[in-house]
Amino acid sequence: MIASLLKKLKTSANHSRLNDKNFEFLFEEDTSGEYVVFDTETTGLDPKKDELLSIGAVKVKGNKIIISETFEVLIRNSGKINPKSIEIHQIRPCDLENAKVMDLAIKEFLHFIGSRPLVGYYLEFDVAMINKYTKPMLGITLPNKMIEVSEIYFDKNVSLIPQGNIDLRFDTILKKCEVPDMGAHNAVNDAIMTAMIYLKLTKEK
Amino acid sequence: MSILDQRKLIESIHPFELLSSSALDTLMKKIDIAYYPKDTLLISPSLESIAFYIIIKGSVKELIDDEVYSVFNAGDSFDADALIYSTTKGKFVVDEDLICYEIKKNDFIDLMQNKDVQSYFLQDFVTRHQNLKDYELQSELSSFLIAKVSDIFLHEACIVEPTQSIYNALVEQQDKKAKVILVKEIDSYSIVTDTDIRKKMLLGKFNTDDTIDKIATKNLITIDINDFLFNALLSMTHNEIKRLVVMNKDKVEGILEQLDLLSYFANHSHLVAVQIDKAKTIDDLKNLQKDFKNLIITLTAKGVKVRYVTKLVSALNLKVYKKVFDMCVDKPLQNKCALIVMGSEGREEQTFKTDQDNALIIEDCADTQKFEEAMSKLNSYLLELGFPKCKGNVMVTNAYWRKEVYAYKNSIDSWAHDMGEDSLRNLSIFLDAKCVAGNCALLDEVNNYMYSHFYQRDDVLAHIAKAILNFQTPISMFSSFVTDKEYNNKLDIKKGGIFAIVHGVRTLCLQYEIKATNTIERIKELNRQGVIDKIFATELIESFDTLSSIRLKAMLEAKDLDESNYINPNNLQKNQRDLLKDSFKIINKFKKFMIFHFHLNMVS
Repeated sequence: MIASLLKKLKTSANHSRLNDKNFEFLFEEDTSGEYVVFDTETTGLDPKKDELLSIGAVKVKGNKIIISETFEVLIRNSGKINPKSIEIHQIRPCDLENAKVMDLAIKEFLHFIGSRPLVGYYLEFDVAMINKYTKPMLGITLPNKMIEVSEIYFDKNVSLIPQGNIDLRFDTILKKCEVPDMGAHNAVNDAIMTAMIYLKLTKEK
Repeated sequence: MSILDQRKLIESIHPFELLSSSALDTLMKKIDIAYYPKDTLLISPSLESIAFYIIIKGSVKELIDDEVYSVFNAGDSFDADALIYSTTKGKFVVDEDLICYEIKKNDFIDLMQNKDVQSYFLQDFVTRHQNLKDYELQSELSSFLIAKVSDIFLHEACIVEPTQSIYNALVEQQDKKAKVILVKEIDSYSIVTDTDIRKKMLLGKFNTDDTIDKIATKNLITIDINDFLFNALLSMTHNEIKRLVVMNKDKVEGILEQLDLLSYFANHSHLVAVQIDKAKTIDDLKNLQKDFKNLIITLTAKGVKVRYVTKLVSALNLKVYKKVFDMCVDKPLQNKCALIVMGSEGREEQTFKTDQDNALIIEDCADTQKFEEAMSKLNSYLLELGFPKCKGNVMVTNAYWRKEVYAYKNSIDSWAHDMGEDSLRNLSIFLDAKCVAGNCALLDEVNNYMYSHFYQRDDVLAHIAKAILNFQTPISMFSSFVTDKEYNNKLDIKKGGIFAIVHGVRTLCLQYEIKATNTIERIKELNRQGVIDKIFATELIESFDTLSSIRLKAMLEAKDLDESNYINPNNLQKNQRDLLKDSFKIINKFKKFMIFHFHLNMVS
């Protein structure tokens, strides 16, 4: 009760700070019945220092992942990319030649997600990365409802092993949920895999 | 990048690789991924299909009349028919949590505007099979053995009137540099070879003034211009002749010479045959054995249909049998008995040497004792040549399989009477009997007795036919491969598939008194007699061919004989898996046909 009240207060405070009327839609009630699963690739793991390299997102409706509306954007970056992270996401500086500037990329992303609930793995980090840019641009943080798949996974499994440690690594969940590993780790692939995990966890009988 | 990954996956699925790059781009924009938990009903007669599904992970069962008809796994797609015709007989149910691509119905129909894709989905079973096989052929060594008779150089035939004198005919032959003379009869041809001239003129009573038809031999051995060269080779090997007359309908097109044919073939099958003929001792034969295996490997690698390979190998083995028979049985005794081979050898379907299944039929009133020693010698020779002993002891060394005609007739009586497991097995084995040496009329006599004995005994025939239902339907074996474990991911292709066709067809042939022993010949004959229709017959033959060729591959790779009937569908290429699946569907159809035909559901 109190928690939801607090949340409402926070949202309206966030809303009041919005300084661009064009993005009012982020606070409208969502009627699409869809979810957006998204993932980001970054130069590192510290939202304060590191920067966004790409965003991948897919919509989920009912039991379907709507691949036909896949969102994928590569972002032109100011700083140098940490060579370590290149190994992981395989985005080289030269791959970013056709990339978009940050502002445009973020705006396109916001239009894609609208006020739909967001789903992700370790979502907090990805949202923090997005917020890092929305705050100076629009004055707000993402107001959308957040759904963390590792949390659903935890809740589902904790009843089986109440005292045990639950391995929440992405690869482990992938395997346990019998979701095919699509190989290359990039934002879109990871988003699709996360979406499959989400469907599996929520639709399984 | 990532969209590309999805694209690659779709592209790897036949027939989507046929799409142009831009068509594929359009398609990619229309594909969704869907998740369905176990037991979801996707399509059924009352639930119209709304999309085309391509499985990423999980599996789906297709049920018809509540029986598993087919199983779809990762990489498989379904169901074009349901979309195109807006109706289906089957129920598609998720068997294992399903993640799949979905192409919506309208988008799929759009996709069908592409001619190649369209024809792939619209073709009926048989042509689709052919399509997949051709596709498979492309990837293997393309074969010059699928060359037709029309592709090779033919010699001009020297055709003369029957009233012409032998002298004039020989002059004309000389002019045309022909090796033989064909004599035109009223509605057929006869032939004059050098042998005829030697035997009938030089050593016989005719002279050059006589008319040519007096020395001509009838029963011309011919081959159709559209037949495969490979069949020509078979025919030459089998009939021990050096040339064939090539016919185009009723017209003589020319003469096919063995020399020209051989130059077409890089293998030496004929040489093997010649060497068998020349062999004087058992050691000569033994030395030839390794050529056999090489021959099979070369031929299959060249994409020759398994049924031709097995036929050739059987023809060669037959020669071996004949030779060994000659070596073991004294001349005066040879005419008093018939050596028969049974089982796969009798059906001319064996590739490697499978167990010796042989028997001896002895003339009534002959002294059976005399044959005992000869037969044990024959048996030991065959062992030396690498024909393993028959585990069921169906061999000439066993007195039960070495007896007089009347004794075989008695056996048939008792087999038909008691219908026990052993009797049924013995009967099945005997149904494939083929005479290889000695007096073949003896086998005919026993066979005729058998046909008359089973005439209109549909009750007994039903008991024999019932064996095809003894083994689980192959498709459920297949589904156990899906859920894996029990069979170590493998399935028994012989019990699961080949046996049903072989035994079912064999039983039908007993009913319709068809003498052929080769399964494909039998199916063709059943079609000719109107028992099964043309389409079904072709389907059966294609299925049988597919199963046999998959089995042959397994045999070539297997380390021991026991292992060779087991195959792991996961190790097959997608195309082959499709072919295998389709073949199993046909076998299920055949089983249903047999149940109906013999009223098997009424037989306990």
